[in-house]
Amino acid sequence: MIVDARSRTSSFASSAPGAYDLGSILRRIDWLLLFAVATLVAYGLWAIAGITRFDVPGHPDYYVVRQAVAVAVGVAGMLVAIVVSPSVYQRHWRVLYGGTIGVMLFVIAFVGAVRGSKRWIDLGPFQFQPSEFGKILFVLAIAGFLVERGRRVGEFSTVLAAVGLGLLPMGLVFLQPDLGSALVYGAALAAVLFLAGVRWLHLAAIGGGAIIVVVGVLWFLPVAGIPILKPYQTDRLTGFTNPESDPGGLTYNVTQSRTAVGAGGLSGRGVEGASQTRLDYLPEHATDFVFASLAEQRGFVGTSILLLLYLLVVWRGLRVVTVAGDLYGAIVAGGIVFAFLFQVFVNVGMTMGIAPVTGIPLPFVTVGGSSIVTNLLAIGVLQSIHARGRVERSR
Amino acid sequence: MSDAPYGEPRNTSQRFLPHDPSVTAPYRLTPGLALRVGVLGVVALVVFAALFFRLWSLQVLSGAQYLDAAQNNQLRTIRVEAPRGSVLDRAGRVVVGNVPGTAVKLWVGDMPRKEGRYRMVRQLAAILDVPAQRLAREVDARGLDPLTPITVKTAVHDDQVFYLQEHASDFPGVQIQQTYLRHYPYQSLGAQILGYVGEVSPDELKRNRSGRKDYRGGDKIGKSGVEATFDEYLRGASGAAQIRVDSRGRQQGSVALIRDAEPGTAVRLTLDIGVQRAAERAIREAIVIAKANKQYNVAGGAIVAIDPRDGAVRAMASYPTYKPSVYVGRIDPDKLAPLVNDAAARAANFPGLNRVTQVAYPPGSIWKPVTALAAMQEHLLSPYSSIQCTAKAVYGRDKQVFKNWDPYVNRPMNLPEALATSCDTYFYTVGNRFYEGGLAERSRLQQWARTFGFGAPTGLDIGNEAPSSQTVVPTPAWRKRTFESDWDKAWNPGDSIQLAIGQKDVSVTPLQMARFYAMIANGGKLVRPYLVSGVEQQGATGQRALTLKQFPPAPPHDVGVDPAALQAVREGLWAATHSSNGTSAGVFATFPVSISGKTGTAEKVVNLPGYPVGHLEDQSWWCGYGPSDDAKLVVCAVIENGGHGSAAAAPAALRVFEKYFGQKARSPRVVNVD
Repeated sequence: MIVDARSRTSSFASSAPGAYDLGSILRRIDWLLLFAVATLVAYGLWAIAGITRFDVPGHPDYYVVRQAVAVAVGVAGMLVAIVVSPSVYQRHWRVLYGGTIGVMLFVIAFVGAVRGSKRWIDLGPFQFQPSEFGKILFVLAIAGFLVERGRRVGEFSTVLAAVGLGLLPMGLVFLQPDLGSALVYGAALAAVLFLAGVRWLHLAAIGGGAIIVVVGVLWFLPVAGIPILKPYQTDRLTGFTNPESDPGGLTYNVTQSRTAVGAGGLSGRGVEGASQTRLDYLPEHATDFVFASLAEQRGFVGTSILLLLYLLVVWRGLRVVTVAGDLYGAIVAGGIVFAFLFQVFVNVGMTMGIAPVTGIPLPFVTVGGSSIVTNLLAIGVLQSIHARGRVERSR
Repeated sequence: MSDAPYGEPRNTSQRFLPHDPSVTAPYRLTPGLALRVGVLGVVALVVFAALFFRLWSLQVLSGAQYLDAAQNNQLRTIRVEAPRGSVLDRAGRVVVGNVPGTAVKLWVGDMPRKEGRYRMVRQLAAILDVPAQRLAREVDARGLDPLTPITVKTAVHDDQVFYLQEHASDFPGVQIQQTYLRHYPYQSLGAQILGYVGEVSPDELKRNRSGRKDYRGGDKIGKSGVEATFDEYLRGASGAAQIRVDSRGRQQGSVALIRDAEPGTAVRLTLDIGVQRAAERAIREAIVIAKANKQYNVAGGAIVAIDPRDGAVRAMASYPTYKPSVYVGRIDPDKLAPLVNDAAARAANFPGLNRVTQVAYPPGSIWKPVTALAAMQEHLLSPYSSIQCTAKAVYGRDKQVFKNWDPYVNRPMNLPEALATSCDTYFYTVGNRFYEGGLAERSRLQQWARTFGFGAPTGLDIGNEAPSSQTVVPTPAWRKRTFESDWDKAWNPGDSIQLAIGQKDVSVTPLQMARFYAMIANGGKLVRPYLVSGVEQQGATGQRALTLKQFPPAPPHDVGVDPAALQAVREGLWAATHSSNGTSAGVFATFPVSISGKTGTAEKVVNLPGYPVGHLEDQSWWCGYGPSDDAKLVVCAVIENGGHGSAAAAPAALRVFEKYFGQKARSPRVVNVD
């Protein structure tokens, strides 16, 4: 009975500060998840140290130091997120949603373009990328909306309203243009709808609609003379299906990336010997193609460790969905985990030619403060949900 | 309840979490949610499985192959250019050498794609001052073969090099390379002989594929003259080196030499650069003299000097000429045009033409020794019996009148005198005797001419000779073959008579003529002219050069001419330069070294703008040798539209003898006689 559930949820939330003091919350976090994330962060820093060693002449540690600062900020953020009860987000989802939209509008309206793209807000020495933080705010807000609708989730109008709410920030991010983040939002929206209990039929309808939109944007509208995507975006999205079409041009990045991954072999070529990275054959090797660089330097062994750590995070994350104390927590956890999985797959797949080329960061590894802070915040939210969930006493 | 999400809450899933009675959470994990979480779990497993399989396939299964690709990515084999061998003159003076230069090369494979490529081409063209469109076309053409660089420009100025080096990142694919440029210390001397060097063309690549030496795109190759004929020796063998480059083609680290370049070997010419210079000057001087003698259409000329004993070419001058350096480095299209463009070549009177070997002129009177020798061999002429030399003579059924150049003469002459005064009517009589001798006799003169080397290339080692079809020795059969109408097909008395004085259809190259006079001088042996005597390895400074290969002269072959007949002709040629009525006595009589030779004033139809069709111009000829009794040098000179032989060609030839024998003539007296 959803009405009951809702009332109980609110009572749970209101009693939270009393029922869970700080100590008990920290004691009840998922230590395995924390271990996985801590290892990932450390592994990421180590990987970055090797990958960016020759990027800034004379300053081999330039990126690592900056990344470490971001990690520190992110860890602080994560601790805060653990302490804050998810029910706060649930209650104030409108504020979160409005804030997200507001910042994105601000970015589009006032921020100067960097490499043709308006994504960053300058904050002194650091830059702040709202679309990264938007990933988690988005999940919190849409989940809040769906849980508020309660039993009406079964109605198609609710589904449409949720999709509409999701499409607005997606559209804004897309206009920056940041196609990759827009896709991540889409994946998160799908996961949230899926876990909120939207009927299979409605899911199928939404999925069908999404397919029609994708096909339309990629093929029919350009043919009809209405290009939605920029040509390079279309090329990248479709290029991976035909990798040999233009080895020098459009798929140059992917070809070099695949070469880098393959050249790494079983145990890697080391930092000194990884020529694809060192001699700049591999473009964007500290950001979008960081996985290929890692693969070249550390080989199959190094990439396997990373993927296993990701798998561990995903497993623990899905487990949080099942132990969540309420539906909101479950949905949020699911959205976060799926967005995470999506980013890992698209980024890693892209470097190996099995996913389209989009500017999606590799969680915990890609150089970029906003990304790592967001990921740590997301883990904090997961931990918060876990800590307030149904805990095994036996542990 | 069915409209609530996941329906009624039931038991907590036992799968992920054992039941915990202490938590009395009203919220329960419903089977519906559990199912969906399970679906997500399966998706996650599929995703990771896909990533792992792909990684395994790339890194472990095909790792070696990608490692190769990554290594080839950064290693580039470049060719280390071999310095081209020098061309030396007879005395070892460097006629063609090398100077170091800078070349800008462009690797199309490293250039930006699409619009960026053409922007870069425009910028590069502007910096190097080369036509952008031509460069763009080259880039497009080379797109199919990205492994051969385009040479954008050689002999690049330092400022341009510095600019390109500073802005290297804006010009991916641009490589600055040290190269060798051909250098001509004597400027235009011997231009048509030496030839020039250029980048190998696709056609030449195809032609040389099966050859002894293998050429690759971007190689330099001799395009003409000595450079082309002896390219095999001159080019050397390029070495190879590897460089590591980054993704923008910028060199990383140092060059690793794999194979040293082998410098080309030097080629030694028989040419004497001093004599060559004298010959080229002499033509220019003769042109000035001819102009002073009101020969306003005088245009060009040729002088060839050969050693009559073995055929070694001492000078081979052709005017107008050009500087071979126009082909080197910064090519100025205006300067190159006369050599490559028909209209411009015509306007500049074909400076690229080697008039000594490529142009056939009517010989005129210098042909008379041919007639004389043939007639004596055929027993149609007795050298010391007299024939009346008259002002004119009438031959044929149509009573055609043939005039002597000297309208005031009427006295009997023997052969030496007829040669000395160049009496036309004497030789008309001889020519008519050939005609009267019947059908077989009518081509006997021509057969002897062929024996003396006319009508066919001389076999000069650098080739580039006029084909047999252009050096005509007309016979009745040739007329029949060549002409359409019955009138023209006929061989008339006039044909034999005109042939006797080297007029009408007969045409010879100066080199053929020089070879014939060498035969007279050396006692009846035909030599094969040659320009290159050997190939040598140049030693370090102060060390002797090491001769690697000799090209000995072809042994002269005896044509079987009667020594007595030769003696009569030699007497005539001596008298021509020494006796008081000799045609070039005014030029040569006072020269300390005894010179024998014959003038020629050949009428040739020359179509000049502003003149009627069929306008005749006198080609001024002189051929001869010295010293008269032991000849060491044969000189043949021809001045186009230069007037009388004694007026233009003979003084020019004298200059060559002066230089060769190191003797000065006492101010020659120039006379206007034939």
